[in-house]
Amino acid sequence: MDDIDAMFSAMLGEMDLLTQSLGEETVPPEALSNTKKEVNYSIGFTDLNESLHELEGNDLDALMADLMADLNATEEKLATEIECLKAPSASQPDFPPPPKGLSIEPAPSHISPSSAGSRSSNVSTPVPSAASSLAPPPPSGAKPTTEEIEAQMKADKIKLALEKLKEAKVKKLVVKVLMNDGSSKTLMVDERQNVREVLDNMFEKSHCDCNVNWSICETNPELQLERAFEDHENLVDPLSAWTRDSENKVLFQERPEKYEVFKNPQNFYLWKKDKTTLRDMKDKDKELLIQENFCGTSIIVPDLEGVLHLREDGKKSWKQRLFQLRASGIYYVPKGKTKSSRDLVCFVQFDNVNVYYGKDFKSKYKAPTDFCFVLKHPQIQKESQYIKYLCCDDIWTMNLWVTGIRIAKYGASLYENFKTAEIKASNSVWTNRSTPSSSNQSTPSPTVKAKSPNQANGHATKPQPGPISQNPAPPPPPPPLAEVLPPPPPDPVLPPPPPPMAAKTASKPTPPKRNQPNNFPPPPLDMDNLPPPPPPPPTDDHLEAPPDFLPPPPPATGFNSLPPPPPSFGGVDHSLPPPPPDPVSLPPPPPDPVFVASGAPPPPPPPPPPPPAAPVATLRPAVRTSGSLKKVPPAPPKRTAPTQGGGGGGDFMSELMLAMRKKHADQ
Amino acid sequence: MAAWDLSVTVEDLGLDAPPVTISVASDLHIGGVILKLVEKTQIKQDWSDHALWWEQKQRWLLRTAWTLEKYGIHADAKLVFMPQHKPLRLGLPNGITLRLRVCFSNPVFQTVMGICRMLNIRHPEELSLLRPIEEKKKKKDKNLAPEIYDLTEVPLSSVSRPCLYNGMPAHFADSPEMEAIYKMLSVSQPPPAPEVIAKQYRPASVVDKAHINGRWLDSSRCLLQQGIQESDKLWLRFKYYATYDMDPKYDAVRLTQLYEQARWAILLEDIDCTEEEMMLFGALQYHISKVAQSEPQIMSNNPAMDDLDSALQSLEVKMEGEGSSASDLLENMTAPELTDYLKIFRPKRLTLKGYKQYWFKFQDTSISYFKSKEESIGEPIQMINLKGCEVAPDVNVAAQKFLIRLLIPAPEGMNEVYLRCENEQQYAQWMAGCRLGSKGKTLADSSFQSEIQSIRSFLAMQKTNSSSSSANASEESINTHSLVSPRYHKKYKPKQLTPRILDAYQNVAQLSLTDALMRFLQIWQALPDFGLAYVVVRFKGSRKDEVLGIAPNRLIRIDLSVGDVVKTWRYNNMKQWNVNWDIRQMAIEFEGNVNIAFSCVTADCKIVHEFIGGYIFMSTRSREKSETLNEELFHKLTGGHEAL
Repeated sequence: MDDIDAMFSAMLGEMDLLTQSLGEETVPPEALSNTKKEVNYSIGFTDLNESLHELEGNDLDALMADLMADLNATEEKLATEIECLKAPSASQPDFPPPPKGLSIEPAPSHISPSSAGSRSSNVSTPVPSAASSLAPPPPSGAKPTTEEIEAQMKADKIKLALEKLKEAKVKKLVVKVLMNDGSSKTLMVDERQNVREVLDNMFEKSHCDCNVNWSICETNPELQLERAFEDHENLVDPLSAWTRDSENKVLFQERPEKYEVFKNPQNFYLWKKDKTTLRDMKDKDKELLIQENFCGTSIIVPDLEGVLHLREDGKKSWKQRLFQLRASGIYYVPKGKTKSSRDLVCFVQFDNVNVYYGKDFKSKYKAPTDFCFVLKHPQIQKESQYIKYLCCDDIWTMNLWVTGIRIAKYGASLYENFKTAEIKASNSVWTNRSTPSSSNQSTPSPTVKAKSPNQANGHATKPQPGPISQNPAPPPPPPPLAEVLPPPPPDPVLPPPPPPMAAKTASKPTPPKRNQPNNFPPPPLDMDNLPPPPPPPPTDDHLEAPPDFLPPPPPATGFNSLPPPPPSFGGVDHSLPPPPPDPVSLPPPPPDPVFVASGAPPPPPPPPPPPPAAPVATLRPAVRTSGSLKKVPPAPPKRTAPTQGGGGGGDFMSELMLAMRKKHADQ
Repeated sequence: MAAWDLSVTVEDLGLDAPPVTISVASDLHIGGVILKLVEKTQIKQDWSDHALWWEQKQRWLLRTAWTLEKYGIHADAKLVFMPQHKPLRLGLPNGITLRLRVCFSNPVFQTVMGICRMLNIRHPEELSLLRPIEEKKKKKDKNLAPEIYDLTEVPLSSVSRPCLYNGMPAHFADSPEMEAIYKMLSVSQPPPAPEVIAKQYRPASVVDKAHINGRWLDSSRCLLQQGIQESDKLWLRFKYYATYDMDPKYDAVRLTQLYEQARWAILLEDIDCTEEEMMLFGALQYHISKVAQSEPQIMSNNPAMDDLDSALQSLEVKMEGEGSSASDLLENMTAPELTDYLKIFRPKRLTLKGYKQYWFKFQDTSISYFKSKEESIGEPIQMINLKGCEVAPDVNVAAQKFLIRLLIPAPEGMNEVYLRCENEQQYAQWMAGCRLGSKGKTLADSSFQSEIQSIRSFLAMQKTNSSSSSANASEESINTHSLVSPRYHKKYKPKQLTPRILDAYQNVAQLSLTDALMRFLQIWQALPDFGLAYVVVRFKGSRKDEVLGIAPNRLIRIDLSVGDVVKTWRYNNMKQWNVNWDIRQMAIEFEGNVNIAFSCVTADCKIVHEFIGGYIFMSTRSREKSETLNEELFHKLTGGHEAL
């Protein structure tokens, strides 16, 4: 806690500095063109693991520093490229790179009003929010008294500080994901993100069909294991368990067995029936099965029982045992005993183990067949007596067991995941039909977003009522909707995601509110080593006349026109004149919505001109409302990293806010 | 028309009083008969609930407009004039016996609806009445006659529309006594003494379990028709295991009674479970009884809101005052310190023989240890990250053994580490820390203190168990034998059970009362045999008895010799079912030309018919219609032939 205290006071100091210099501070922050960094961003996962392990005390800050060093080095190389592209813009030498993943944010008092302004514009007012960030926003309601302002500022400060503290603790990994075709994509995953969000990310990057089978998988070559992560799982956690010398990989691939149980529940719940009956099962009956087993008060685990081969501890032999799957674990019938429940011996319970598919165990462990699965603690990475190896007679039995175990372990989350994935898939079809823009694939995400925090927070105990048949109904995917959504959480100030992602993220995680905090953009971490960044796009100077300067949509592709275009997007659209700013380098967006909405923010000093990122974000409302542009609007913000979902902190924050509001009311 | 004499026994005149004779004509309607009767008795009282019962035909004469002729009543008819509502002793799932006035003239289905309205149980269609198992009266048990709680004074009119007052029906809010009864209905009972469990009847086989289902009353006939007399004892039980629309906010009694029924089903091995599951059920029972006793009237308000309120209040307090800076606030978020000398032992490592003492420090989710307190500034000898580890207690209070067994995951496998604490206090703190750590939480987590508390209370339980004999367990502590079925009484001593239940307890210790009840029900419902009602049947063409299991969604056929399920039929494949009342055989046709027919051995085929029809009825309920009960449909599905 000492460190945090120190950090905290340092931060408060810096915040004060910022507030004081607010008046003069009109320099827009440099746009960091992330698109450029692709080449240099070869930090594989192995590297990261190394660093992770060197810092056994999980000193994330140090890890970040490591990453920064890498980044900076690469940026130096890029310097020239960037220079010829953009005129140097004033950097902010006053501010050293914020220490260790902490970003200096503009004083909170400025955030709230401006974000409130943008919020309103998002919802109804046709006034582009850009205007509000240029001119002092109209005081909301009655003018607050000075005391109120002070109180508010104080509260904001506290809130911000706490936010920062939380943010500082967020662990982030750069993950290299192998694609089916052997290529790979690299992306930044922070510990609050669940697999669903990462999948959405991958959908954006890969232009795949977004069907429900797509999975993020983990392989362990040493143990010859693989497993598809569940959509509600956090990705960073399991990956952190890898050893430094690990050859483990993360794959992005279609796995039909992932949600097979929801497509053909009869194969799992009525597995004893003959194959023709199962094949000819009517949809109505399938639905009923799902209803019965997943929509009741408790999740029903398929009634599995059968002889499996168990690898004996330490020995090379496999022994047959009669196993039974129950909601509480896997049991076996001891020799000479009956199958009655009370005689069953517990083989394993699922709290601390995951289920993995074994690959090629016939040759590795002399298994009777290659249809093996394994139960082990996710942190075990090497041969160990604590790994339980089971072997089935055929692939069908194996899938039965593995799926059954997943149902027992994850329960309702599995079904929730499936429903979300299905919406995703159907939306992608929908939007692909209606708008040719590939970037719009992400539009359905709003619907999903709303849910994802729940999933991230753990098991949803209650399955959503209603038959699955309702699911395919595509929720309105239009981008405007997305903008009404809560702003994304403070974005990592950490090294920006590697290029392919950067190109995409350029449009997507930049919700309108983005521009607010930019009034006081903290220098991106890597700024110091960078040559002056490119000048802001011309639009910056004329924000009031928005549409003309609107970058041709879809901006996502537009961004790709920047010099070193990522291979995947090369030459899509070169019409965009000004290089778009890199959102990743931007400061965190305004604090979470609860805070923004807290009302009665004191009128802030006129905010300085918005930073380069502004055009994209701020003009969007104008496009929408004026309708002056027929072009496809930019892709909406795609994923909200779960501000609230990231740990218990969110609740605390909102409580804090409530408390403070209450206090104001009392005064 | 000629007048003739009709003699009617008027119950209110006393059992020995001679029948009242009135002069009637065949075209006199029943209302007229009653009027004459009342005039003749000369008693002034409210006769509105009274009706005529025709003893020979075992039927009520409820249609007052019908004439005697229409009913076919002649001078030889023995009629009884009596109230339709009479007291009945009603055994509830939680073991409590109530005395309340129920309707003897309407079909049992409506009688149950009336009872449920009075007791504030929604969805009465899921419950029914059955004849209790005869209690073998032992001489010494005479003074142990269970207390009966009287609800007969509840005016019947107030029952018609339950309006809640203070979270309970108005008739329960009348007096403290009534409130006490309502509390008994809506709050789970403390665990029964082990002897009580052992004394109860336990079915030993599937056939035994089948016999109980022969006791269900016929829902389409009235109590009197089924030989139930005033003040007889009946059990009220959940019959259809298709719990629908359970909302703890409105279903305090329903949820509690369902839990009690489930708990007794587990304790009496009415439903089989594994040892691990039994321990978890035991832990949940312990937790539920503890929370239920400490939390008065939780059901009426939302605990989550309370938490928030108190959190806000404490926040506000913190925000007050001059120096309310952010750092102060931060101070409040910092974790409590946990450092101490503990002994460590690694069973798998040869390097450390026996327990060695080090200075331990708990930080975030990790434990670090140092040679001594003085050296705790530098690098620790080792740091153990507890996240994802398994924590098991190994405690014997009597022997002053306080061991925390840790199974720490590492890439190479799991490492076993034992931490030895000196005393209870130390153990409770470190154990609580380890548990939080294993869940990835730090000591700053709000549950730290309550975790310590629950560990201590559990230790207290072991203390009393080991020091005194189980019989005179004090109110504070619970004998672990009260939490498991008698099978485990034989298998384990109470102090052997304690660590096992404690082990399971750590995963549920933080649940609220409602959540714990729901969790108990969920685990119960997830048992493979859940919801099965057994009946011994003889399939057509088969020579031996087999067992038919009736579940909420399917029928199963169990071979008695093997004990295995040989066949499953699902209701949604069912095309029709018929009962041949003459030969008392049920015939069911499923899709794909599957026909089965069987006669019922241990229960009337009406009961089986009602079970199947009832479950089909349960599946027709949907959210939109949840408010009104489609009684007509129920009877259509379960009523059967008029000839009954």
